[in-house]
Amino acid sequence: MKPTRKQAMGFYLSILTIIIALAALIFYLINCNSSYFKNQGVHPLVAGGITAAIIVEIVYVILVEKLGSEKIFDILPVIVGICLMVAFGMFISVRVAGIASIMTFEKNAQTTADMNGAIIGMVLCVSAGILNMITSFFRIIKED
Amino acid sequence: MEKKRNSKKRQVWRGITTVTASLLALTLTAGAVVDGFRTDIDKNLGTQSTKILTEAEDGEELYNYTSDYANTTELLDAIEDLGERMNEEGSVLLKNNGALPLSEEETKKVSFMGFSSYYPVQGGDFGSSLSENVGTDADTVDMVTAFKSRGYEINPTLQSLYEGMKESFKSEAVLPWGVTTYYRTTAPGIGGTFTSIEASQEDMDKGESGWKESLNDYNVMIVTLARGGSENANYTPGKEGVNPEQKLNQTDPLGLSDTERDIINAAVEAKAGNNGKVVVLLNNASAMEIDEIKKNDGVDAILEIGLPGGYGFYGVADVLSGEVNPSGHLTDTYAVTNANSPAAQNYGNYMYTNADDSHAINSALVEAENIYMGYKYYETRYADCVLKQGNADNGQWNYNDEVSYPFGYGLSYTTFEQTLEQVEVNLEERTVTAQVTVKNTGDAAGKDVVELYVSLPYTEYDKEHKVEKSAIQLLDYGKTDTLEPGETVNLIITADAQDMTSWDSTYKNEAGTTGNYILDEGTYYFALGNGSHEAVNNVLAMQGKSEADGMTKNGNTDKVKTWELSDFNSTAFAYSVTGVAVENQLEDMDLNYYMPNTVTYLSRNDWSGTWPTTYQDITATEEMLEVLDNDTYEITENGDASAIVFGADNGLSLADLKGVTDIEDERWSSLVDEITLEESMIRTGFGGTSTKTIESIISPEVIQNDGPNGFNSYPLGQYANTDTASNDPYVISPDDKNMNYKAGVMSNATVIAQTFSKELATEFGEVMGNYSLWSNLTIFWGAGTNLHRTPYNARNHEYYSEDAVLTAYQAASFVSGGKKYGCIIAPKHFAFNDTEINRTGLSVFMTEQQARENELRGVQSAVEDAGALGIMTAYNRVGCTTDNSHYGLLQNILRKEWGFQGLMSEDFIQDAEYATLKEAVHCGVTMTCNTGANNIDAVSAIWPYWTVENVSKDATLLQDLKNAMLWQNYAIANSNAMDGISANSKIVNVRTWYDNALLAAQIAFALLTILAVIMYFRSMKRKEEV
Repeated sequence: MKPTRKQAMGFYLSILTIIIALAALIFYLINCNSSYFKNQGVHPLVAGGITAAIIVEIVYVILVEKLGSEKIFDILPVIVGICLMVAFGMFISVRVAGIASIMTFEKNAQTTADMNGAIIGMVLCVSAGILNMITSFFRIIKED
Repeated sequence: MEKKRNSKKRQVWRGITTVTASLLALTLTAGAVVDGFRTDIDKNLGTQSTKILTEAEDGEELYNYTSDYANTTELLDAIEDLGERMNEEGSVLLKNNGALPLSEEETKKVSFMGFSSYYPVQGGDFGSSLSENVGTDADTVDMVTAFKSRGYEINPTLQSLYEGMKESFKSEAVLPWGVTTYYRTTAPGIGGTFTSIEASQEDMDKGESGWKESLNDYNVMIVTLARGGSENANYTPGKEGVNPEQKLNQTDPLGLSDTERDIINAAVEAKAGNNGKVVVLLNNASAMEIDEIKKNDGVDAILEIGLPGGYGFYGVADVLSGEVNPSGHLTDTYAVTNANSPAAQNYGNYMYTNADDSHAINSALVEAENIYMGYKYYETRYADCVLKQGNADNGQWNYNDEVSYPFGYGLSYTTFEQTLEQVEVNLEERTVTAQVTVKNTGDAAGKDVVELYVSLPYTEYDKEHKVEKSAIQLLDYGKTDTLEPGETVNLIITADAQDMTSWDSTYKNEAGTTGNYILDEGTYYFALGNGSHEAVNNVLAMQGKSEADGMTKNGNTDKVKTWELSDFNSTAFAYSVTGVAVENQLEDMDLNYYMPNTVTYLSRNDWSGTWPTTYQDITATEEMLEVLDNDTYEITENGDASAIVFGADNGLSLADLKGVTDIEDERWSSLVDEITLEESMIRTGFGGTSTKTIESIISPEVIQNDGPNGFNSYPLGQYANTDTASNDPYVISPDDKNMNYKAGVMSNATVIAQTFSKELATEFGEVMGNYSLWSNLTIFWGAGTNLHRTPYNARNHEYYSEDAVLTAYQAASFVSGGKKYGCIIAPKHFAFNDTEINRTGLSVFMTEQQARENELRGVQSAVEDAGALGIMTAYNRVGCTTDNSHYGLLQNILRKEWGFQGLMSEDFIQDAEYATLKEAVHCGVTMTCNTGANNIDAVSAIWPYWTVENVSKDATLLQDLKNAMLWQNYAIANSNAMDGISANSKIVNVRTWYDNALLAAQIAFALLTILAVIMYFRSMKRKEEV
């Protein structure tokens, strides 16, 4: 049995990226079921983008943990970054009109809560993207 | 070591690649998203993504409308001049013991008291806001600046004191972009409370202990009291509407606080010692509770000045100095206690017990006051007290305890004698013609307002059929020119007789259903009066009543003429002006339609027994929920869809129909046949902030603007033509000092209505029409035609009055003034936008009689008489149905009965479900207020049912789409948006600077990504070499 490798800074940042992306996904999905945004449904590029980013990031960590820092794995954080940024762009796109409407004419406790949920989701999404960029500069495992 | 270094490099290039690739992805996504928001981006950045290229043929005249002004300086001078005159004629003198006008000497010793003298409310917030202009040919001014420019000398001690306390006069307004702080009073946000920020005497003493002594040298004390106005804001009636942390004995947000009382009393006390004068200015649009000021003998005069805009204070200064004689009259009743009106019994946030945000089902507002809104309540109840009928008196009700100043009231520095010489009713021509003699019997020159009222018979038939009658109602009005002392003038007023008909929902009509306008048999009293109360007193005098019967004052029968109708008339107005048989269209607006016997509407047959209770905690029934879920039109396969033509090649462009006003002209159908189905579906879906180009017929983008206090959405220069090489007569030089001028500067709507001058309203339309020509801004959501149901609606500043007729004629005059210059001035919000509380989703319930005789009558003339080419619908529901889905209101009344042929936009509804696109198009709405990319997929993404496949099988909806395109383009063709466009014009796309910037970013990040990848592999190669 191959011994577990020693984790480096990149590992912990990757885990943090996954957690924040997961939080973004959860906030988005909850927001899609909120009273105000329920009718808009789930946008595939937002949910799909974040989900793909999470999966790829997990795969990246596992592969590096298991197989070491192979060159081919270096493409994975790039893919994660692309997925998160596309998701973030589309997240803004599908919510901006609703937020504008709530802030102008439909402000009440419920709609404000729904709007805040959307904004938190966006912030988490872009935070995950930024963290992923930072993570990509670090190693997942320590070199022998 | 080398290996480790190379590994480091690999990490760095991997990181850089991730960063650049991520940013590349973001910019590419942004590029795709930009098209969906292009309209909004262009509006905010001042860019244009399309333009029209035109090559005029020899001799071809491309510009059909002519400005009255040669340049922007003349244009702005005209706006400034009108703004000044609006407050000269629109300020209402409510009380004057002879203190006014001020002598020239007195204008040199003026003390401005009350912080609102220095920090006044000049416009609303978030809509109808004052555009502050600096460095232009018509800079806006505040009160101090305006008065000083008129030669007034202001107490410097007080000015210094108040300006030193500036930070304490901060007030917050809840705006779309967050909470904004202003140095003046503001209206509370929804659910908020009013906080009085008037300075206490203690704080003033701390600021300048000698301020009271300074009043001796400046003993003309002008105290300004203010209340703000705002969209999306609201005053809550009674103590609940006042900040509970303040202990200032304020019983209502529109009533006075102790600090306001104190500043008045300080002036009154000072007057006792300095032999000066105390004048109170009311700087408000919602009627305040001022009975204590009226009764305060120490207060010499009260002048209502509204929200004076950018130039109105010049007018106020001129009125106080007697340079101009006041001639304004109140547009609203100033009640002793606003919360005691029947309408106020149902004014609040009354949530359905089964509210559901996912369908915008929130609250219900039952307007149980019936037709008795404003003075129609106070004067009718008063009349019934005198006539001893309808349980009106109830042993408690006393007019003077209810009303401080009645609707239509206003004083002058001179006196006038009005005589009603003759009244002629011609039902065939639908007119009531009154001849009035007006004589200036005083010592000063001035203008006078003639208010023509009517009192209708209230019969046993009415009681049986629940037809209500106001004891007095305004029928029409006119205003004299300036009359010199002793001068007499004859004024002829030709009123619309339909304004004295009553809607009887039970009457079997010509259409074979129920609902009709009726005229009861009996005596009709036509009366003049300085306000509704004097008019009703004159009527009561004609009926033999006097002070002995409980009247507040004996009436004058010389001001009354009668007309006898021997037989009940149900035919004269059975058909509308378009020839359509009228019938009930709004039965579902009565809550009793869904929930029988739930609502008791107020009736003068039994005031006490029908006094409105508060209708709250309503549970929507299953039947109501089926409508409240906003899905009332089902797209089906019906009719012969193939027979409806789209995308034909008939060789016409919209320019071929420039100025063709006959909508039956065959060329219109030929032109509309050229529009493709996709174009129709995109244009109806995405009409926010501007109509977009339609390439098949070369229909231009037409910019929409908010108002109503003037074009305040964009600066004069944003869409102006600055190409000095073009033939456009309205080219503006890029370095024109007025390029950044914004025209949201006019006195607010109540001031315009307080002028009681159709001429001034017309002038406002004309000057905005001229502005429209120079600025290339055509559509103006500028005529606020909702009524002041209660004073608590903080948005009342955008609407004219509590009275429908005054609203109707001011709006119609405004619309017609703009139309002369090709400007589409559109009434809004059609209809029943009576509160800002929960307006997206709010269910408004009322009787059809109330709807037709109040709110709808306030819009009717703008359509029927002025031929409005645009209208904006409302957020609220009509009963349970979204306003945009109400076929009876939008199609049957507005288009069929009244003959509206123009474009119709939704308000700023961004909730796709609530925008009800398919229902709205079916009801004649020509565009929603959404924006998006110019392709059908973008529209379908918002409204999944809005696909070519779906819609193309529904012949009804296809015809609706063609109608929408006809009305939309008919309006544009008859506007100045077509100036400069000819049949050979072409629409071209323009790459904006932000398109280029985004492309540059995409290329840069792409190159950087490639470079990073290369560097990554190079680092790998070195590693392998090692």
